[in-house]
Amino acid sequence: MATTPSKKSAPAKGKSNPLAAKPGTTGIDPRGPRFGAVITFILLGIDVVLGLTGPSVQSGTNWAVRITDPAFILLLVITLIFAWGTFAGIARHPYGVIFRTFIRPRLSAPTELEDPIPPTFAQLIGFFVTSVGVVLALAGVPYGLVVAAAFAFIAAFLNGVFGYCLGCQIYVLLVRAGVFGGPRA
Amino acid sequence: MWSIYAKCMDALTAGLVLGGLVVLTTIAGLLIRGREGRAKMLTNTMRVTPEELGLRRGNLPFGSSATLVQFSSEFCTKCPATRVLLAQTAAAHPGVRHIDIDITNRPDIAIRFGLMQTPTTFVLDEAGMLAARIGGAPRPEALTRALDTALRRDHGHYTI
Repeated sequence: MATTPSKKSAPAKGKSNPLAAKPGTTGIDPRGPRFGAVITFILLGIDVVLGLTGPSVQSGTNWAVRITDPAFILLLVITLIFAWGTFAGIARHPYGVIFRTFIRPRLSAPTELEDPIPPTFAQLIGFFVTSVGVVLALAGVPYGLVVAAAFAFIAAFLNGVFGYCLGCQIYVLLVRAGVFGGPRA
Repeated sequence: MWSIYAKCMDALTAGLVLGGLVVLTTIAGLLIRGREGRAKMLTNTMRVTPEELGLRRGNLPFGSSATLVQFSSEFCTKCPATRVLLAQTAAAHPGVRHIDIDITNRPDIAIRFGLMQTPTTFVLDEAGMLAARIGGAPRPEALTRALDTALRRDHGHYTI
């Protein structure tokens, strides 16, 4: 029986949190998306191995082989989870639910809250990359699935291990290239 | 149908490929972390004007002794923390101002100043000359050093 008082650190004393989300949105615990990224890169790593050892690296496979390939099924599941995170928002992400239910109660209170918009955008980038992999796998392009899963793995690994949002950096390059943003009217 | 698996890569080789991926990504992550937030001191005489940043000259947008110009974007995890650090630093130094520029709708600014990431911070001296440039969330000690340099800069080196 634990008799020592809880070591949970107290929330910021009375001060408003300058890192909190913009008005109208709810701030999220930044460790939630990091936790989700760790699960994601583990699943993507498994998918790379399944892809390399399965029929997705072969040309001339038939439909039955392509859609029953375990690597394809796993990538499809990962893509659907990215879609959920993108369109429902990171705050309603299934890994976020796992984090809040099982992990967050064991951690101290977050020292800061984060705007949910950037990690939601990262989900969109993940959804785009894995969707390309699903389409290439369906089209029977050899190594298409593996390459897409590997790119998504790199992004999720950098996010989960280093807290680095690769998609956010790519966004700046896309703004420069004129894909997003553009001059105000 | 399942005989096709016989022609595929064995699990050991696939595991080695995954291991290589982990090692390379870790190296990339360490390199990114090592470079992030360091101040690059600049000795050339590039001048930044409020107009180039989309600001009006009339409102005295620059600080009287130095200016911290932050470039942010819409999807940027470290911009809010950088905003807090720069605002606090500016508040602690009289005559220093912090300006936050959102480049999401201004790709021309991103191209003009060669911005490859957000946040990027420019430390300008009192004349608007670029004294230092910091890519990523600034390390506090790098920011202090850059600002000190901008505040102490010998104006004899260039024509205002």
